[in-house]
Amino acid sequence: MWNRLPGVWICVAFAIASVLFALLATNAYYTSLVVWVLTNAVLASALRFVLQIGELNIATAAFFGIGAYTTAITAVLLGWPFWLTLLLAPLVAGALSALFGWVTLRTKGPYFLLVSFAVTEVVRLVYTQTNAIGGNSGLVGMFPPMAIEAYYPALAVALLAATLFALYGVERSDLGRLFKAIENNDAIPRSVGLNVVFLKVLCVVIAGSAVGLAGGLHAYANNVIAPSDFTFFVAILALAYVKIGGEGHALGPVLGAALLTLVGQWVAGISAWENIFYGAVIVVTLLVFPGGLVGLAARARGLVTRSAR
Amino acid sequence: MELFVQLLANTLQIGAVYVLFALGLTLIFGVMKIVNFAHGGFFTAAALIVTSVVPFATVELGAPLWAGYLLAAIVAIVVVLCLGALVYGIGFQHVLKDLNGSFILSIGLLLILNGAYLAIYGGAPRTVPQVLPGTVSIFGAALTAQRLALVIVAAVVTGGLYLLIERTRLGLALRAVAMDQEAAMLQGMPFKRVALYGFLIGAALAACAGVLMAPINAVTPVSGDEFLIKAFIIIIIGGLGSVPGAIIGGLFIALIESVGGYFFDPSTATLATFILVIAFLLVRPQGILGNVE
Repeated sequence: MWNRLPGVWICVAFAIASVLFALLATNAYYTSLVVWVLTNAVLASALRFVLQIGELNIATAAFFGIGAYTTAITAVLLGWPFWLTLLLAPLVAGALSALFGWVTLRTKGPYFLLVSFAVTEVVRLVYTQTNAIGGNSGLVGMFPPMAIEAYYPALAVALLAATLFALYGVERSDLGRLFKAIENNDAIPRSVGLNVVFLKVLCVVIAGSAVGLAGGLHAYANNVIAPSDFTFFVAILALAYVKIGGEGHALGPVLGAALLTLVGQWVAGISAWENIFYGAVIVVTLLVFPGGLVGLAARARGLVTRSAR
Repeated sequence: MELFVQLLANTLQIGAVYVLFALGLTLIFGVMKIVNFAHGGFFTAAALIVTSVVPFATVELGAPLWAGYLLAAIVAIVVVLCLGALVYGIGFQHVLKDLNGSFILSIGLLLILNGAYLAIYGGAPRTVPQVLPGTVSIFGAALTAQRLALVIVAAVVTGGLYLLIERTRLGLALRAVAMDQEAAMLQGMPFKRVALYGFLIGAALAACAGVLMAPINAVTPVSGDEFLIKAFIIIIIGGLGSVPGAIIGGLFIALIESVGGYFFDPSTATLATFILVIAFLLVRPQGILGNVE
């Protein structure tokens, strides 16, 4: 898989550069920005991962929150060790995604979309109603241990980048091909004896674990989490990243997340214009270049090779 | 008995707005096969317009309150219809029957609309003076005159929509397109025009709901979004695209909310509805009156 794809090596180099940047940069604002960009990239990639089976999973936001809350609860309330709290985030998020998938993947299309949306709201309501985990104000005080604290951004970036490569690896594997086959027509994989529901649940679990890990890392990076950080809006922004970057390639959501997160930095704060900005970007991209950045690049390359001939 | 009647009255007044809102959403889904996240935007636009036209008409023009409110209602519905036509022309007609594409488009529109409302009106809640003061007592249950009027108007509008869909040529076309778009086109029905009419009727229903709610609840730029979440649950329960399903679902959710809100507290009731929906899906994924795809 590796030697056939020179682009992968460029991405690996880029990931190493980001880790080094997070390790060496002294400005805390820039290091946290790099972590934030990669967190968004994982959210967007996980959303696109489930789009492979043709479903739009708004509950991506819920599993991000579940990961963050798992880490925060075990770290702050139970005082468990750092690595264990971080390991539990993807495990718990993955287990709950399995339950979620098993219940909801009987439906598809608009029903699945609306149910995943409802689940996200339920989970958020549960946080606000549970006083033991801070209710509306959430949890405070997740700090990485002293020995790691200085390297934490680099660690987070490395783990998030590894997650992105893992998602890409699954997409390129035979399993990824099965997911695509389900999207095209799920009667055909079923007719050759594959358990389609199991495969769909598996797809949701892989994506759920990935965002769960991102949530756990986010809890330590941010030190504070609250229910309002995990509304369905998180998934909607992730969808915007996917759309801008382009669904056609695994790189799309990463590019979209990087671009919009960085540009979003200077529209942030003025909430009315922030909304209008994101909304306009989504509408214009969808109507004018539906393939996103990746689609544009592919088209440009097509033009170049054609004219070279 | 008194408690029972009171809870029933509460159910009807909450349910009336839910039904109007969900009917528009389900109609748009049925005809165009799109999930319109921007539907709350129509509701909010109408309610906000009422909050600015009523003071203008009563203070600047010196009109009596009821006349100002009627004027505001007409202005609000006309503006929302124009907004709907604009949104359809620019965006939705290019993504008909594309579930993910139209969903994303509607989210983009929702963000733009919410941002615009916030920029124009600010975030502070806006109110309209009571149009019909006083309380009415029915079988011992107290009901403000305004809310009673809301229930009656909503029932009339719902009845009107039912007649439109069941008895007119346009209704026949809407049902035919919802059932099988290609077969309808083969019979010579102009799909895009029928879809536009369906979309505008849906937008007008949301505007009606907004106009009716403005004097009852304070209006903010995100008022519509709260109803949107409820309306989604209603149409999942009722069956996507089903008009009677939206009516049954709307009243059902309102019943759970008023009974649950009385015996427990409102957020427990909301939580209960969500859990109910998920349990419901296990048994009947296509909703009460939905068709299996």
